[in-house]
Amino acid sequence: MENNVKTGTLSLDVLDVDGAIRETAAAVAGDTRARFLAKAGLLGGGLVGSSALLGLNPATAGAQSATRDIAILNYALTLEYLEAAFYTEAEEMAPLSGELALFTRVVAKHERDHVKALKAVLGSKAVKRPRFNFRGTTEDAAAFAATAQVLEDTGVAAYKGQAPRIKSNAILAAALAIHTVEARHASWIRDINGEDPAPTAFDEALSMREVLEAVAATRFIVAPRRRRRRRRPQQTPTFTG
Amino acid sequence: MSEPLTLDLLDKDGAIREALDEGMQSTRAQLFRRSIIGGGTFLAGGLLIGGLPKIALGAPSAKQDVEILNFALLLEYLESEFYIRAVDSGALNGDARLLGFARTVRDHEVAHVNFLLSALGDAANPKPTFDFKGTTEDASMFRATAIVLEDTGVAAYNGQGPRLTKGTLAAAAQIVSVEARHAAWIRRIVAGPGYPNRPGDYPAPAVLDKALTKAQVEAAVGRTGFITG
Repeated sequence: MENNVKTGTLSLDVLDVDGAIRETAAAVAGDTRARFLAKAGLLGGGLVGSSALLGLNPATAGAQSATRDIAILNYALTLEYLEAAFYTEAEEMAPLSGELALFTRVVAKHERDHVKALKAVLGSKAVKRPRFNFRGTTEDAAAFAATAQVLEDTGVAAYKGQAPRIKSNAILAAALAIHTVEARHASWIRDINGEDPAPTAFDEALSMREVLEAVAATRFIVAPRRRRRRRRPQQTPTFTG
Repeated sequence: MSEPLTLDLLDKDGAIREALDEGMQSTRAQLFRRSIIGGGTFLAGGLLIGGLPKIALGAPSAKQDVEILNFALLLEYLESEFYIRAVDSGALNGDARLLGFARTVRDHEVAHVNFLLSALGDAANPKPTFDFKGTTEDASMFRATAIVLEDTGVAAYNGQGPRLTKGTLAAAAQIVSVEARHAAWIRRIVAGPGYPNRPGDYPAPAVLDKALTKAQVEAAVGRTGFITG
């Protein structure tokens, strides 16, 4: 991939006013802010920002790293939600055949399992699944294959960027175990697409901000999923028989 | 552990796979056992956290980094020499796709060796001598061996990740995903597009990649007899 990952000129606020990207980004910003405050000696017993957002009680030693691990896991969960939804939708909607269909089936299952595993670890601290609009890329085989490649390469770079920031060894081991599976997916779809499966000797990492901006630029995440209380009668077919 | 296997006494394609896979099999068995103990709640956190093999962790330190990087260097020497000899032997010349894989991966492994040498400086262990038991001179044996070497490389790096200091981990992470790309690539060359033994032959055969301890990897490599001195 030659810089298929666009690092955006687009503002998160414009694209994702209520969305999960912002929620995740806020967790990151909260963490940064907390560290800044801690450095400046302004932080008392608790963390602001991310801890409030994630509903944690941070008033214990090591809470800052635990909070950051949770923010990282929620970031990973958001990316896995996106991948899982993308492949699951493509399984249903894209006219896929041959090895591309097999790839999609296998990878869809992997990504759904990554979601389940991350949610299980996060428990009540897991962010909600956003709503997605894949803008036609799950309905066309060529667009799907090209998008899958970008998503997988980005996933690899995203996990790689976070691994050294993870405090818990158990969470790190899990992240590493997912990281290389994403790399296998990336290699697989690249080869199917006729691209170099392993284009460099060293894969680059991307920061959380770089990834979130790239994701925002796709406009695939449209809003967090919400319970809709209000019925919209104009969308309900009326029976006038 | 058993003595290094004499490959020519064993099934041609299965020999090395069997030797190197032994560590993998036990890991897989552990995972499976734990997932059963978990009462079928395969994904209720059990697989992800509790099910991962326990790695003996020393506290990360510069000293431990040197030990681990020398371990990585040994594996990268093994891989780079394997691909150099396979390309040079001419055994892959009849298969442009396979030769292309071998050339690209050779260059990557050489780059990894050079990176580790520069990181280790004077602390780098010397390059061993190798005997690849004919696997670099036969396309079929080359393919089977490449899969196992790459899968083992991934598992080896994944096993060491939590033992590294964070700065070294960042560098190792840039290598391990490339090894995973190699593994998927050669798996596709060997078994795609039909994958008769699915899902074990898939480029991505599992939801999570395994981790192996240093001892497991060393035992598996030892059984191949590839390292002679």
